[in-house]
Amino acid sequence: MRWAIVIVLAAAAALPVLAQEPGGPVLAPVPKACETPGTQVISASPLPNVAIALKDRKQINILAIGSTSASLRGPVSGGLYAVVERFLESNFKGLDVNIVYRGVSGELAADAAERIKNEVALTGADLVLWQLGTADALAQVPVADFYATVSETVRWLKNHNVDVILIGLRYARSMVRDAHYQAIRRAIADLAREQGVLTIGRYEAEEVLDKLSREQHDALNEAAVTESSYVCMAEYLARAIASGLFLKETSTTPK
Amino acid sequence: MPRPVNAVDFWRGFALVTIFINHIPGVFYERFTHRNFSISDSAELFVFLAGWSLRHIVGKPEDPTPTHQLGLRLGGRALSLYAAHMTIVMVAIAMLATSARLFENPLLLEWNNAAAVFNDPVNTHIGLVLLSHQLGYFDILPLYVVLMLLAPLVALVHRLAPNLLVPASLAVYFSALIFKLSVPTWPTDGQWFFNPLCWQAVFVLGFAMSRERGPGGWVKAHIPQIRMVAVPIVIAGALMVWFRWWPDPTRVPEPKLLFIAGKSFVTPIRLIQFLALIAVFSAVFPYIAKTLPRLVDFLSTLGRNSLPVFCAGSILSLGGQIVRFYFRGGIVTDTLLVVAGIILLRATAWLAEWRDRVQRPL
Repeated sequence: MRWAIVIVLAAAAALPVLAQEPGGPVLAPVPKACETPGTQVISASPLPNVAIALKDRKQINILAIGSTSASLRGPVSGGLYAVVERFLESNFKGLDVNIVYRGVSGELAADAAERIKNEVALTGADLVLWQLGTADALAQVPVADFYATVSETVRWLKNHNVDVILIGLRYARSMVRDAHYQAIRRAIADLAREQGVLTIGRYEAEEVLDKLSREQHDALNEAAVTESSYVCMAEYLARAIASGLFLKETSTTPK
Repeated sequence: MPRPVNAVDFWRGFALVTIFINHIPGVFYERFTHRNFSISDSAELFVFLAGWSLRHIVGKPEDPTPTHQLGLRLGGRALSLYAAHMTIVMVAIAMLATSARLFENPLLLEWNNAAAVFNDPVNTHIGLVLLSHQLGYFDILPLYVVLMLLAPLVALVHRLAPNLLVPASLAVYFSALIFKLSVPTWPTDGQWFFNPLCWQAVFVLGFAMSRERGPGGWVKAHIPQIRMVAVPIVIAGALMVWFRWWPDPTRVPEPKLLFIAGKSFVTPIRLIQFLALIAVFSAVFPYIAKTLPRLVDFLSTLGRNSLPVFCAGSILSLGGQIVRFYFRGGIVTDTLLVVAGIILLRATAWLAEWRDRVQRPL
């Protein structure tokens, strides 16, 4: 196996510094509100094309696509991807991160798959952040069709020297026992494992955050958890990219 | 009396029904709409026919509508469209919020780009009013508002220099393609799904083709020859869609938007295929009218009342999405949804015509 599953956000205490190549920056831990003890949120995998872009150009072009909102509440200006941009640029001195958001909310993976190819060509993306699954699960898209679409697109991206991070579907208490929803969730995990793609387990993270918040604040409703998970999502994403930059393709040691 | 059935109302009714179906993602009948056999889809048809219908307001060349009246009528039309858009957007937001509460599922608050409304309400409400924030599947009326505000200029250019209108429109279109110009969204980063700088070309072509002077006259005079060229384009387009023979967008030369198929910029591949489709199918209406008069009457009634039917269709599509989510889709649910939706679209058209009848002074 050319890549390893790395538990990045696993500690009950503050997130430890990510294991990385010498010379990489020391990343700050995720905020306490985003800690997910005992749960694997990021399955790490190298991002070789992003690493080349960083080395050669000191500039990374990122295409963000998918059906989930990129907006954040009040105090966090600029939305989810602005947080990611700021994090990466502050941690990698001299790095210019350019994130282009081309999400179409509610879009199924099959429609996004066609657009991704065009948008990659238009933006010259080194990395695609693809939020997927929720719209397909809610629209009852057959799991096999979903899997085939995503699999073909990920292969196309790899063949065109573009890295990809799959951001899985959202957590909601009412969807825990929804068989189709869970099947789509598993499909993303299986596909990522099969193709060696870095994924962010948004469901897993939000599930833990929800559980913790219920333990700590009985009155906290699910919408409030969703709100905090938006901010955490940006934190996970930024660290996922940073970790992918400094992992070698041959890395096999779980960190 | 409502106007008699005609090709424009029929095709507009057809577009309205297919938009309604296509806007319920995952629905079984989605696979039968013409976008599965055509590079372009109902959006082009809807915008083109909107341009075509502009002729009714502009007036005949020998009896043109006075300029100030033209501006007022088109401005009023833009205002009506804007009001209709704001109404259905507010209803849609309420539907999502109600569903999220009923089903205790916050994911529904994120559907169709609604998340920003709930996450960042202060900025997003400003964006909704300015049309810089649009809900998914509720993004064609903002384009229509812009086109209607542009319409007096279109009509005046055509009146003064009919041969200049299409070249001017295409100049804006190609500039947008070459320089990747678009209209940004706010507060969420992004761009309008229907880029007005490009889609104005579809609208202007619709208007120009409806006229006797300028390019429209030339097209009418040469339609048999144009159809001979159009038929292979339509067939090639169907094959491209069916077998996914798309060019690799990373391998086409710059400016890439000239060579790839994209809906937001209604790229030349889509536009040319659409014009070919129009040329071919404009010939079949008389045969459809002869063989399927009840269908023609049904769709023409929808097309005659396009704004209320479109608004009802948008709300019904969203309702369909929610129903499919709750009942988990399936062919029975989907059939009931589509049949009920089309009946309700017809009821909306009937209601609109009934209202016009009772409001008309005796």
